[in-house]
Amino acid sequence: MVVRRLLIGVFVMWGAASVIFVIVRAAPGDPAAVFLGPDATKEQIARLTATLGLDKPLFEQYVRYLGDVLRLDFGESYRLGRPAMEAVFERLPATVDLTLTATAIAVVAGLALGLVAGSRPGGAVDRVVSAATIALQSFPTFWVGIMLVLTFALGLRLLPSAGVGTPAHLVLPAVTLAFPFTAIVARLTRSSVTESMREPYVQTARSKGLSERQVLLGHALRNSLIPVVTIVGLQMGALMGGAVIVENVFAWPGLGSLVVDAVANRDYAVVQAVTLLIAGIVMVLNIVADVLYIRLDPRIRTEARS
Amino acid sequence: MTGFRKMTAFAAAAVLLLAGCATTTGGSGGGGDPAGGRLTAAGTYPIESLDPHGAQGATTGTQLAAQAIFSRLVRPGADGKVEGDLAEKWEPGATAAEWTFHLRSGVTFSDGKPVAAADVVASFERMMTLDGPNAANFPGYKMTAPAENEVKLTAPAPDASIPRKLGLFYVIPRTVTAQDTAFFTRPIGSGPYTVNRFAPGEVLAMSPNAKYWGDRPQLANLEIRTIPDLSARLTALRTGEVDVVWGIPDDQLPVLSETDGLTVKTVPSTAVFTMWFNSSTPALKTAEVRRALWQAVDFGTIIKQLYPRTGALADGLVAPAVLGYAKQQPVGHDPKAAKAALESAGFDFGKKLRLQFSDAEFRPFVQAVASGLAEIGVQVDVLEKEKAVFTEDLLALNWDINFQQLATPTYDAASNLGRLYTCAAKRTGYCNKDLDELLAKAGESPDEAERAELYGQAGKIIWADAVGMYPMTVQLAYSWRARVTGFTPDPSGLPDFSHVRLAGA
Repeated sequence: MVVRRLLIGVFVMWGAASVIFVIVRAAPGDPAAVFLGPDATKEQIARLTATLGLDKPLFEQYVRYLGDVLRLDFGESYRLGRPAMEAVFERLPATVDLTLTATAIAVVAGLALGLVAGSRPGGAVDRVVSAATIALQSFPTFWVGIMLVLTFALGLRLLPSAGVGTPAHLVLPAVTLAFPFTAIVARLTRSSVTESMREPYVQTARSKGLSERQVLLGHALRNSLIPVVTIVGLQMGALMGGAVIVENVFAWPGLGSLVVDAVANRDYAVVQAVTLLIAGIVMVLNIVADVLYIRLDPRIRTEARS
Repeated sequence: MTGFRKMTAFAAAAVLLLAGCATTTGGSGGGGDPAGGRLTAAGTYPIESLDPHGAQGATTGTQLAAQAIFSRLVRPGADGKVEGDLAEKWEPGATAAEWTFHLRSGVTFSDGKPVAAADVVASFERMMTLDGPNAANFPGYKMTAPAENEVKLTAPAPDASIPRKLGLFYVIPRTVTAQDTAFFTRPIGSGPYTVNRFAPGEVLAMSPNAKYWGDRPQLANLEIRTIPDLSARLTALRTGEVDVVWGIPDDQLPVLSETDGLTVKTVPSTAVFTMWFNSSTPALKTAEVRRALWQAVDFGTIIKQLYPRTGALADGLVAPAVLGYAKQQPVGHDPKAAKAALESAGFDFGKKLRLQFSDAEFRPFVQAVASGLAEIGVQVDVLEKEKAVFTEDLLALNWDINFQQLATPTYDAASNLGRLYTCAAKRTGYCNKDLDELLAKAGESPDEAERAELYGQAGKIIWADAVGMYPMTVQLAYSWRARVTGFTPDPSGLPDFSHVRLAGA
């Protein structure tokens, strides 16, 4: 199955590479004119257009670009004066940090909230958790970020408001990014646990004399994890792509701000490199989620073997 | 341990490890003032590259970094006048087509190697080879080194603004090739600071250059951080994570002024709000129509409402600090006279004018102008464009009214009037042979008084013909914390930190 997914992945990557090639070139605005600014001469703009290879027919540019991508050469960013992928890899750790920490917060908090709510559906705790998750999901990310900054950085002076440097710098952006994700995990876990608690194997576990805690953690939770793993895999990719606003609010030097600047300045090489990297990461995460899915669900394991 | 538990434990450990490992380099601690001698500043634009000759060379971020790390032949002083940096003196040849610069002796790079004329020439050639935005100031110019401590710059035609233009040219060791990008991760220069760490778009950390020829900087460490979001920048200032911030909009100044421990100051910049008319648009061909449109807008009230502390009604095409500034007769607000003039000129009120601008920051101003024009029946389509589209349309004259905040960083009208208003420039659709002649004369004369006079005459023509509307001169707002002393706000948004001290450090 993994091999099949990898083969599909190759087509997905080709599709992503082609789509982004077309989109960036379809956008209005001449990259050479933007790079050189309004004071450049026409001759200077023509020279740079040729240097960038943008004077060639579109199909020729496309073939050359695909060939470069196959050789893992993502081109030079004229604006930054270095290879595009070098600039991307420089920013990647910050985005990975932010995304992984936000995911960890969302998974831990979401599972805990969902478990508590799902164990007693309809109870007071369930109602409070359900209301809280709706709120978490509804608040716009930039607003949450600003509120957290006003409270913990400006008001209480407990945490830094922007930038990177210490683990403390990670807290507010990661919590902000984790807010809607926590709500998704909590709601999914809650409904999954509620369903699991009605299954015959839970009755069996109870009849074997296991405590309610053992039933909940050892049986209901484990089976409830299957959809949660799927959504975590999908959401991590979305988080990487969607961290732009959080990065902006907290001056977090990740991929988001890099790609926004690259789009504004028509820096094709950087836009293409970031897009392909994120597409690749999302693809790998999906394969990892599939593998975990097999590990968690014996029925799928058996299917895969057969 | 079951397989499930093992897997869970492994995943948790991996997440914690990855989350804890990366992105914990340098930077100040949170929530309080950084240690003793470190000043942290957050400018308006990111520093993406330290290469002053490359594609980023003309950006504010790279210029700010370059002036701290490298030296120039000459640099603009606080009053806009040219000061020597590597050059002790300079003079034109028989005409302003040739300029000789005599280098200061005993200047070394931070690695101890002497700065020689060969380094200056190699740097100039590197800038021209890279063909970036700064190279556009010197088309066809050649630099030579007739002696060990002397360089000669030769232009294809007389150019009196050469010394001021060279304020954007920085000197690096001759061994650095055009393709050498690795050098700029930790470059060697002869400026007041050396680089400790540079993360593009994040932080530039510097300490004093022990071999700097001038007064040694007082700060033990200087950190310039990129905080793109304005409110995040101002919050960092208020929490003490940042010591100096600039480029603050007017509406934020009252809050900062009322905050204990913060100094707020505005300084006249070289920028002027400039609203060109496209004189090749049939409806805007005559000066009477263009003047009437200018007269229709109550700029005084708009400025008072939107920019009470950072704007003033302009009385010239360039800011007063710029060589070539000449006071012009203000255009008074008179909508009745404006409407009558338009009617008598046969202006087509049914046709919409396209007003383009690029930065969301200026949206309220541009909308207020459109609303003023609407009051006399002139219909305007306000078009907010992305930078890439704006630049392309600007050069293609694909607009009727164009809004820009035009700065003159060289403090010389040659790079504003001399460059933008000639027939050959084709920037506004306006062409006047008499004006061309005046601008050419002003650009050639090595006598500054004569140049100022000639630019003044040129400015009078441009103002009277209403090539554009010139509503506002811009003040640049700075704010800094009480512990910062000796800080002087810079009109160009490129503050010099080499004379700044920290109280108690």
